[in-house]
Amino acid sequence: MSLGSWAELIASGLITGGVYALVALGLNLQYGLMRILNIAHGEFLMLGAFLTWAAHESLGWSPLLMLPVSFLLLGALGLAIHRLVFRRLTLTSANLDVFEARGLMVSFGLMFLVQNFAQSVWGGDLRGYDYLAEPVAIGGAQFAGNKLLLLGLALVISGALIALLRLTLLGKGVRALMQSPTGAQLVGIDTERLHPLMFGLGLGLSGLAGCLLSMSYTISPGMGEPYTVTALIVITLGGFGSMTGALVGGLGLGVVEALGMHFSNPSLKSLLSYGIFIAVLLWRPNGLFTRK
Amino acid sequence: MSQKPAAGLKRRTLVQAAAASAALGFPAIASAQAAPVRIGYTMARTGPWTTGAQVSQEPNYLLWAEQQNAAGGLLVKGVRRPIELIASDDRSDIETCVRSYEKLMGSDKVDLILAPWGSNANFAVAPLANRFGYPLLGPTALSRRLIEMKLPYFFSLLQQPAPMMNALVDMLKAQGVRTMTAIYVDDLFGLENYAALKVALQGTGISLLEDKSYPLGVKDLSPVLRSMKDKQPDAFVGLTYPPDTILASRQAKEIGFNPKFFYGSVGTAFQLYRNVMAASAEGVLGMGSWNSKSSPAAKAYFDAHVKKFGAAKEPDRWASGATWAGLEILTAAVAKVGLDKKAIRDFVAAGTHETLLGKIRFAGSENIGTPGTVGQWQKGEFEVVWPKANATATLIAPKPNWV
Repeated sequence: MSLGSWAELIASGLITGGVYALVALGLNLQYGLMRILNIAHGEFLMLGAFLTWAAHESLGWSPLLMLPVSFLLLGALGLAIHRLVFRRLTLTSANLDVFEARGLMVSFGLMFLVQNFAQSVWGGDLRGYDYLAEPVAIGGAQFAGNKLLLLGLALVISGALIALLRLTLLGKGVRALMQSPTGAQLVGIDTERLHPLMFGLGLGLSGLAGCLLSMSYTISPGMGEPYTVTALIVITLGGFGSMTGALVGGLGLGVVEALGMHFSNPSLKSLLSYGIFIAVLLWRPNGLFTRK
Repeated sequence: MSQKPAAGLKRRTLVQAAAASAALGFPAIASAQAAPVRIGYTMARTGPWTTGAQVSQEPNYLLWAEQQNAAGGLLVKGVRRPIELIASDDRSDIETCVRSYEKLMGSDKVDLILAPWGSNANFAVAPLANRFGYPLLGPTALSRRLIEMKLPYFFSLLQQPAPMMNALVDMLKAQGVRTMTAIYVDDLFGLENYAALKVALQGTGISLLEDKSYPLGVKDLSPVLRSMKDKQPDAFVGLTYPPDTILASRQAKEIGFNPKFFYGSVGTAFQLYRNVMAASAEGVLGMGSWNSKSSPAAKAYFDAHVKKFGAAKEPDRWASGATWAGLEILTAAVAKVGLDKKAIRDFVAAGTHETLLGKIRFAGSENIGTPGTVGQWQKGEFEVVWPKANATATLIAPKPNWV
């Protein structure tokens, strides 16, 4: 295989991996910080995708404009859901383990709720639209414009999030909460404020991912679930709570899948991703990128 | 707190009373003419089958019932009786599907049943229908194994894998194709069509340079398509489902893989394909068997469908036609022999039926009246291009570049 073909193959893996990373970052914020294993995470990605599609079809809005809009809408929805559901759960759960178990059940419920909501509003049809699909040649390789945009934005947003957590006071607070919730509260970090904010941010990120995905894939109310599963694999790879881990894990999984599909068979893709998942759980249960 | 349940109960009683009076009121008008014909089915309204079921199948059932009722009801041996559809969501779940049909036929004892969506559901329901003695005309079942079960009450309307793949290979051979690559979804549909394709290719001189299977719900086919692009085949054949048909087309366009013949299976004939691919759809081949130019009946059906569901929801140019043809056959059967299920079965099995797709007749469960066909997008319409006797337009070859 020529050098050019390798580059193409790896780039297409990075593009898929970029989406994985974006979805995983949101889920990681929720799980790493609050121990909310949000099984409904992919459904909010689906909502973002449908909102973008609907705005594009009925109002003629550019999907690019929908990027901030769906981020804000889903973020607001996240704040509302946290207020209505998870805040109450925190108050009524005896300890964090009970909260985690209950949160899991609740998010299952949310998954069905959101999926059926989309079903009743938009129907079960497959949807899609044509946007920035023109191929762009880079060197000898060709990629669709929307895919390059997807990769670029996924990297920028992930970078921004990591910078936010590393460099700002807010980020310091969040990281402190991840390391030791009790300790953080003792030094005066306000969980009442940070938790809903980070939950909203997580949902906002999934809304963004959905918006980007709708440009290059067909969408349907059932589209979210596989992304939740992949995101779970990615955050296990990268380590719970590690944002850099989620980014590297997502991109890595994308590349491994692309190479695996090329040299073996797409039918073996699940075998490959779950194989890695199990291997990591056996040998590095804290993730590949956590130092303990 | 203690007040609340009481209020709830009262409200429920009220609702029930209202519902009962409505239920009593309306059939009272209807029964002045005749008792309704109760027709049961389940359909995927949620879950992965929905995308196919809600394009190719359920809209047609609704349109049919509405048309018949508007004409005064379904003609049952000279008497018009209103159609009452008893339908539920099977959630794309075979278990639910089987249980629902068991209830429809076993305890509800509906007059007739209509088929669920897809090869897998029909595979599960057909033996059941056979046991209860209900004729079942399946419009979206494409499986040799289903035919080989030799169920006397089951009829499959779509052309089976062998005639479809034979038609495709005949056409490619006539166009001088020498090399081909193929992908196929690794389920019953993909595997049977792939097997039929391999058989059809034997002795044609067309060599299959590369073939790969992929799982349902695949998100990226570009690694496979890139390696196929390097092999420069004359033709690409995708034995694919709607999301993957579109995925493969989009990604082939992205990487500039433009073989002279590009074929996708289920979903190519959907209006969605044209919406998503826009001008790039031009010249793409796929499974399709009719359009509004095929026959006057096809035109009437197409227009009625668009009128009811709007221009944004056209029937697809493949399985929708088969669904409608099945309903035409059922209508004719009931008009002739009434609701005796054995008599309907015999009528369907023995006769040659005039439908929008042409003359349909059955050998066992298989439709052998209409041939395997190939469709192609040309200027925004999915045309039948092969065989020539059924063609609505001439083949454009080679396929123009993706735009």
